[in-house]
Amino acid sequence: KMADQLSQLERDIETIINVFHQYSVRLEHRDALNQKEFKQLVQKELANFLKREKKNDAVINDIMEDLDTNEDKELSFEEYIVLVAKLTEASHEKMHEGHPRGHRHSHGEGLGE
Amino acid sequence: MLTDLERAIDSLIEVFHKYSLLKGNAHALYRDDFQKLLETEGRRYLRIKDANAWFKELDVNSDSAINFEEFLILVVKMGVIAHEDIHKE
Repeated sequence: KMADQLSQLERDIETIINVFHQYSVRLEHRDALNQKEFKQLVQKELANFLKREKKNDAVINDIMEDLDTNEDKELSFEEYIVLVAKLTEASHEKMHEGHPRGHRHSHGEGLGE
Repeated sequence: MLTDLERAIDSLIEVFHKYSLLKGNAHALYRDDFQKLLETEGRRYLRIKDANAWFKELDVNSDSAINFEEFLILVVKMGVIAHEDIHKE
């Protein structure tokens, strides 16, 4: 499928999947992120959104533990996309800091700007 | 500068608002707005179930509108389906 045939939402989802695979294939279990791969993903791909968190291994590990609902010490795509949803919520909240949510709706900058 | 992943995340917020700002509450997708969103942005997901079935599934508080949090459930479900499809290809 050509990229230009994709809708905006489909392109976003494709990026979310591609970033996951870019890191999940590096070490064994090619479709899951282990602790090392997750740390690399956070530090590189969420460098602005998680600017503070990325500097602290204990915090990154804690985020991973929270997402690892089946406690197998790695993140499946299903577990990783929950982080994406949480960050979407957080960025939207940031956009509404000092910007109305009602009929005069407007956005400021999101996370990491 | 934001990364590709960060831009994709902010883009999801933009997609929601393209349809939620069409009328009424700024963070509500009504039935017709939601149908328009699926037809424009996620036609392939309508092959799995129709817009009404998606709406019913996502409207967890049964207020006849899809709010931002309910839209995020849709994004998670679409992502999981798209990821499974890649491995089937």
